[in-house]
Amino acid sequence: MPSTIECTAARPSREVDASPTLHVRSRRFGSFEISSTSMVEIPQGLVGFPQLRRYVVLEHRPGSPFKWLLAIDDPELAFAVANPCELVANYAPPLELAARLLEADSADIALLVIVTIPADPTRMTVNLMAPVVVDLRTRRARQIVLDLPHCPPDYLVVRPRVAARA
Amino acid sequence: MLVLTRKIGETIRVGDDVRVQVLAIRGGQVRLGLTAPADVRIFREEIFRTIEEQNQKARLADEERLADAAELWLEVGNAKHD
Repeated sequence: MPSTIECTAARPSREVDASPTLHVRSRRFGSFEISSTSMVEIPQGLVGFPQLRRYVVLEHRPGSPFKWLLAIDDPELAFAVANPCELVANYAPPLELAARLLEADSADIALLVIVTIPADPTRMTVNLMAPVVVDLRTRRARQIVLDLPHCPPDYLVVRPRVAARA
Repeated sequence: MLVLTRKIGETIRVGDDVRVQVLAIRGGQVRLGLTAPADVRIFREEIFRTIEEQNQKARLADEERLADAAELWLEVGNAKHD
């Protein structure tokens, strides 16, 4: 059993980003400068989006737990993603399984969950059933299927007791 | 699509390592037994439909949604470990 409870075993990269290599303009989301270090390739695509394979992961804003996952080849398609350990209390990331499914070294991977944000953000959910595993070394990623108990596709992030106080 | 007819107890082989056996038929349901190496992942098709639907729902409508959610999280995030 994996002993770590960190969502990523990989050391955060302290390298200075290479100069921007791509400029993406999105009608909905604005303009982004993309360096090759922020790109990820999802060879099988996300489930339901098999034709889109190149994405970019960008920080949202200071203090935000979210990142953008933006499709480079369709800039109108974007998702909010996050480190599940930041959003879900007591989440135990299945790093060994995730690494095996990606055929990567568990020391190199990071786990991201896709966030669904409805009009009422207190109802936002994360998809724990199908996280996106990224190999930080090769920048290759895959949306994996976890058919496990306690991993629903729509886990409510803001627990009702907390929401009541907001 | 390849279509095969099998009786109860009969088996189909897929590739070298995967076997699908018809165990029982009752009413409108078929009970199957699958034998495969541990690294072959087996799922009901519905799980992919569930994930696809969730991915569709998760498409961001606009930047404002994300900003609203981030703001909410700053308010309540620290209380999550209740």
